[in-house]
Amino acid sequence: MTAPRPYALLAEITYRCPLHCPYCSNPQQLRRTGELTTSDWQRVLCEAAQLGVLQVGFSGGEPLVRRDLAELIRTARDANLYTNLITSGIGLDENRASELRVAGLDSAQLSFQADDVDLADEIAGARTHARKLDAARVLKEAGISLSLNFVIHRRNIDRLPQMIDLTEALGAGRVELANVQFYGWAFLNRDTLLPTREQVARAREIADAAKARLAGKIDIFYVLPDYYETRPKPCLYGWGQRYLTVNPLGDVLPCPTASSAIPDLRLENVRAQSLDWIWRKSESFNRFRGTEWMPEPCRSCPERERDFGGCRCQAALLTGNPANTDPVCSLSSNRALIDRVLVDINSERPAAAWQYRMNPTSNGACAPS
Amino acid sequence: MQEIADHAQPRLASGVRLQIDPATGKGVLLFPEGIVELNETGQEILVRCDGRTLSDLVLALAKDYDVDPATLTADVRETLGDLQRRKLVEFA
Repeated sequence: MTAPRPYALLAEITYRCPLHCPYCSNPQQLRRTGELTTSDWQRVLCEAAQLGVLQVGFSGGEPLVRRDLAELIRTARDANLYTNLITSGIGLDENRASELRVAGLDSAQLSFQADDVDLADEIAGARTHARKLDAARVLKEAGISLSLNFVIHRRNIDRLPQMIDLTEALGAGRVELANVQFYGWAFLNRDTLLPTREQVARAREIADAAKARLAGKIDIFYVLPDYYETRPKPCLYGWGQRYLTVNPLGDVLPCPTASSAIPDLRLENVRAQSLDWIWRKSESFNRFRGTEWMPEPCRSCPERERDFGGCRCQAALLTGNPANTDPVCSLSSNRALIDRVLVDINSERPAAAWQYRMNPTSNGACAPS
Repeated sequence: MQEIADHAQPRLASGVRLQIDPATGKGVLLFPEGIVELNETGQEILVRCDGRTLSDLVLALAKDYDVDPATLTADVRETLGDLQRRKLVEFA
């Protein structure tokens, strides 16, 4: 099929990060190392704009680790891209914030692990909560639009009201309350992170009530825990339809988790190919584009253009075949794989300790930093 | 939420950018992880959110399009109200 135009680029400029969140979506193992250079990224940003991209998110890892971040933001702004920084806030002081603002940064999404310092630091595996509070203030003072991002899971989901209170207190205009999705490190720690059915029901009520109460003041974006749904999420609004990701190594992916979840995905790299060719012509971007690739029950399903068969990475991780219907769907012959997990989670059983995310080392293995 | 007052001054909320999509020539609102493609009415309203009041904005639109302001007010209120609920527009 003909390639549509992409709208947004996720620029994962580094895998390095001072935090060790057990739900990180970064790969657990890296086969190679070597980050793209400043000029590589500048070329990628310009090619993305030419391809039709309107918005770029700088992410990682922790993007502030790279000293050339402001330079990349400036290049993106010069190419008329909307620039969004997805950050832990570690490494942000008044000078850095001002540098980013002058470069043209439109907005920042600051991650928080919880509202409470002890819980937040335990989840991050590092003492970072207090520094995040400083970062929020610094961003506001620099005139950068502030959003907060919380990843929600069993250990913090009961504190949703307090997280919303913190959003109000810090003067953020938007908050993302995203139930953890199970890829990367989160998949490894699934049994510890997945909330119970009761927790999920209560959280949904709290989020709905807060949305109504704060409409026009704070935009609340609640991401559902898909294991508890009966229809899959419309992942990426379709493979290779709107989004592309470039990872720190220069691999271009339909989504950030595809390289680790789908081992046989043929990876294309910006060092070897143009972004335009990769988006339009590569095997990886065309593999699940449109509806031709779909098996039953998706192929004849009236909802196939609404949820696009769900998530290819989830199908791969749970069923071993990325072309299967997302097992979250109650029409999937593999739904039992999800139900079995839910039964375990909802039985009275102590949770295992989670494993913290580790940083990549020069030999490609992962080790504590 | 209360009805928008005539003297309210609509403006884009913090972190929201209005620009022309080079691929379509149409207006889009860009904000963190979001894009709204505007219809012509939305675009014409938003380019006039430059500090003037709601009633001045309606008068200007009515003049430019040669229509009766009374027929426009409800549409403008609805469009801006919808964008306000999504935190894309605010009022001074």
